[in-house]
Amino acid sequence: MKFLGYERPGGSVGIRNLILVVSVADCSEPVARMIAQGENGAKAVTQHYGCIPGQMVANTLIGIGENPNVAAVLLIGMGCEGMPASALGKMIKGSGKPVEWLSIQEQGGTHNTVTRGKQILRSLSEKASGLNRQEFDASELIVGVKCGGSDTTSGLAGNPAVGVFVDMLVDAGGSAIMMEPIEAVGAEEPLAARAVNNKVREKIYKMIGDEEKRWSVPGAQMEFMCRGNVEGGLTTIEEKSLGAIHKSGSRKIADVLENSDRCLEKVPKGGGVYLQDGTHMEPMAMSFMAAAGAHMVIFITGCGGTFGHAIVPFIKVTGNPETYRRMSGDMDVNAGTILTGEESMESVGKRIFNEVIEVASGKLTLGEALGYDNFSVFRNDPRLDALLNIST
Amino acid sequence: MKRALMMNDEDNVATALEQLEGGVPATAILPSQDVFKQVTPEKTIPSGHKLAVKEIPKGDHVVKYGLVIGNAIRDISLGDHVHVHNVMSNRMQMPEVWYREGVDR
Repeated sequence: MKFLGYERPGGSVGIRNLILVVSVADCSEPVARMIAQGENGAKAVTQHYGCIPGQMVANTLIGIGENPNVAAVLLIGMGCEGMPASALGKMIKGSGKPVEWLSIQEQGGTHNTVTRGKQILRSLSEKASGLNRQEFDASELIVGVKCGGSDTTSGLAGNPAVGVFVDMLVDAGGSAIMMEPIEAVGAEEPLAARAVNNKVREKIYKMIGDEEKRWSVPGAQMEFMCRGNVEGGLTTIEEKSLGAIHKSGSRKIADVLENSDRCLEKVPKGGGVYLQDGTHMEPMAMSFMAAAGAHMVIFITGCGGTFGHAIVPFIKVTGNPETYRRMSGDMDVNAGTILTGEESMESVGKRIFNEVIEVASGKLTLGEALGYDNFSVFRNDPRLDALLNIST
Repeated sequence: MKRALMMNDEDNVATALEQLEGGVPATAILPSQDVFKQVTPEKTIPSGHKLAVKEIPKGDHVVKYGLVIGNAIRDISLGDHVHVHNVMSNRMQMPEVWYREGVDR
């Protein structure tokens, strides 16, 4: 299978041609938004952990700047941050794409920064818009899989159908990432049985065990299952997890990608199924997967969901026929046909693959057409990890 | 006849594919669409919720996908609704507020 993508410096391939305006801390976010507003293909993003947010946040912002869907990057900082725009900019520049940065204090305030920022953006945009889509093999694709708003149809239809797609993608030489550290509790054994070797097997147990420790602190109100899950018929975290891991298909797990203060490991060349450490919370997980190199994310839901991501298109699949009927304007793929007996799992898996190829080639997802461009960043609390003796 | 899906023939629960009515026999099917058995729900089972296709004595494993999803905290009879009121996780308990709003444990 082939798709039409954008060639990037260093040999990677993008499926979108975005200009990213990154405000390195939330204090400079309004200026970044003013710069991006009204500029074709520009997206403004930021993080909300302040101006000394820690290395995990820096890794994520660098990673999304390097993501091949991004043609060029403009970073905006106030000027006094612990994590300056120039430092992040120099790291992203290593990818070979055009990167510029501005300090609001140096530029002399809002007016000058917005004027200068718009000038820079237009010149970046001119270059980017000159790129044409070319044909590439599906083996170049890196697809994230994430479920949310799960009900029992997720484990019975939505996730297994996406699992069929993941098997097809991996067999075609492509890569898939699953990030579900907490929704693997109770599903360690079937995951570990798929580890490519003992080292990966141990990493799987450690990643899930560490996350279980973080969510089992006595006295804290822990919400790893939402009310919708329980109303939808899910009874325990084990049931939720065993349904959730179906979306990673059945092929060998090539590695667990580290995601810590030390590093945010990217999906290596060569294809395969990867687990990535991180969080189960959807928009934040998508930012992590984008930072690891994902081109797009498939979201599997039972209850429904209406959001997207600034950098990676988001294909929404529901296994619940009733949810598809109610929310068909938001759901890209109806996998509810499996439960009504109209279609086989394989047939839906193939439909998902076709949708992935079309979206990779430029077709807008329903979320993109609606303008959804969520962006948020997650970090583990370093104090909690220190208290729990969780080491990387 | 209305259907409930078992993911593995080792399972002792099946998931209702549509709302099942109490006292009205339903068919428990396997992913192959083969019929496993007929089972009569004790009461209304909402779509997506589970019912027992085997007796599950208190303390025994509740099995779905051929794997353990929790333990029975009371005796569960054939056709009973299987959910947070009679099953507990072996790993992490969800906030109590969620099951108070559902069924009292």
